[in-house]
Amino acid sequence: MKGFPVTRAGRLAVFYLVLTVIAAVFLVPYLFTLFAAFKPIGKIFSEPAWIPPNSLYLTNFTHDFEDGGFYRYLGNTALVTVVLTLGQVFFSMLAAYAFARLSFPGRDKIFWLYLLTLMVPNAVTIIPLYAIMREAHLLNTYYAIFLPYVFGAPYTIFLMRQFFRNIPQEVIDAARCDGCSEWRILRQIVVPLSRPVIITATLIAFVFGWNNFLWPLIVTNSQSLYVLTIGLANFQSNMNSQWNYSLAASVITLVPMAVVFIVFQKQIIRSISITQIR
Amino acid sequence: MRAFLTALPFITPSFFGVVAFLIVPVIVLFVLSFENWNLLTPATFTGFNNYINIFRFDGAAHSLTVTLYYVLLNIPLQTVLALGLAVMLNRRLPAMGLYRVLFVAPYLSTPVAMAVIWYWVFDPKLGAINALLAQVGIAGPQWLSSPTLAMPVVALVNIWQYVGYNMLFFLAALQAIPKTLYEAAEIDGAGPFKQFFRISLPLINSTMLFVLVTGVIGSFQVFDTLYVLTQGGPGNSTEVLNLKIYQVAFMDFRLGEAAAMSVLLFGVILAFTIGQFLFFKNRTTYEYSV
Repeated sequence: MKGFPVTRAGRLAVFYLVLTVIAAVFLVPYLFTLFAAFKPIGKIFSEPAWIPPNSLYLTNFTHDFEDGGFYRYLGNTALVTVVLTLGQVFFSMLAAYAFARLSFPGRDKIFWLYLLTLMVPNAVTIIPLYAIMREAHLLNTYYAIFLPYVFGAPYTIFLMRQFFRNIPQEVIDAARCDGCSEWRILRQIVVPLSRPVIITATLIAFVFGWNNFLWPLIVTNSQSLYVLTIGLANFQSNMNSQWNYSLAASVITLVPMAVVFIVFQKQIIRSISITQIR
Repeated sequence: MRAFLTALPFITPSFFGVVAFLIVPVIVLFVLSFENWNLLTPATFTGFNNYINIFRFDGAAHSLTVTLYYVLLNIPLQTVLALGLAVMLNRRLPAMGLYRVLFVAPYLSTPVAMAVIWYWVFDPKLGAINALLAQVGIAGPQWLSSPTLAMPVVALVNIWQYVGYNMLFFLAALQAIPKTLYEAAEIDGAGPFKQFFRISLPLINSTMLFVLVTGVIGSFQVFDTLYVLTQGGPGNSTEVLNLKIYQVAFMDFRLGEAAAMSVLLFGVILAFTIGQFLFFKNRTTYEYSV
């Protein structure tokens, strides 16, 4: 019996050691990249990745922003992602409200149609969407980048509808009797009660917009419209082994996401329980 | 009629979006797959030729095999690791929340940026991995330049990116299982392994289905990581369907063949999704299932 506390402490120590090793695997790529982004190219070639930079060398970043076009790419990405996110969340919310709280002829059929489109994988629509954008003379415009995603997403509509349905009917009825319009019910009652699902929808749209690559790659061909992911991929293929520039560019691309992650980490974890379809 | 008019402004934007950018594209996809179209001259009907040509000249069978190989490398390992991490973190101990947050971070990280970083980490001469191996006297392999190792590396990169995200689903499911079940099992003398296989695993059935279905659908469409890491090479050893579709459409400008390949990808994804649903439907669902 005397040995029991020791073995328990020992087991705990091993447990935390294993967890920490795994955590290192997740952290180390970011750490090495951050180190390298602040080093001149010579040091990246001559010293191992785990050596931190000994001075704050900013030339890689100024080069990326000023000569590499990353000011432009960052601005384009921010613009397209914000428009995509606002539109997708707003229009999804409208649809979800109608499906959850209004009764009108054909409602359930239209909802089933939306659900059916959940089975269409993104990759499969790329070729026809390109053809449609071409017909509409929208290729190589900002519109082309966000248009297919800005009018709402079936998945988000589905999530929001589930959430809206759980708001007690009495709360809505009380407002309706007072002569509120549907718009006011949505704005003043449903939205304040639905913050978790709205935050989840916003995160889904924002991450999708910011990280999107294949679609912008196809519909844009002038540098003034490129988003970060395209700038980064081009950088990589055009300037072989100029790791100082492409790693700094990766940092530029990842930092806004890191900020989102740090600010919203609780909501991201919580959103899992919302997104789980049963 | 009044009810319809009230609903109209709520439904119209998303209805336009769903029709114009999801339903019409599926119809256009099937039409295009029977046409010859090089973007310069008007499209012409060509019957089933595209479907025949993608197998005869474009290596669609090879791309399909490579895609399946990728899914097979990716999904089982990722699912087991995600479940393992969830079991580890499903304890009332300090700092579990911190580890959970750390493991999820890659999920938000832009895949193209992460691919650039991993390209560097796996670089045979400069990369951290071979540098580490050299420290212990091992000459590291060529990784992404090796036809046999390239695909496993790509799969590892994707597992690293999404394992934490999938862990969250398992963790939420495990935490929803009533503690009384484990207490009862303990009284009956069941050890941790028996408890896991007899209680935890059967009760997270629907979560398992969700994680597998979404994971498989995502893996079949892999593009960003491969575009940066291998471009389909070395040779054509990592030329997955989605990459091939891109190359045929936007480098060779043969939109019809690309559409036929997209239909092929669509069919395979649908078949796998339905297959998984059928497989899980035949297994018992328990009262406490989460």
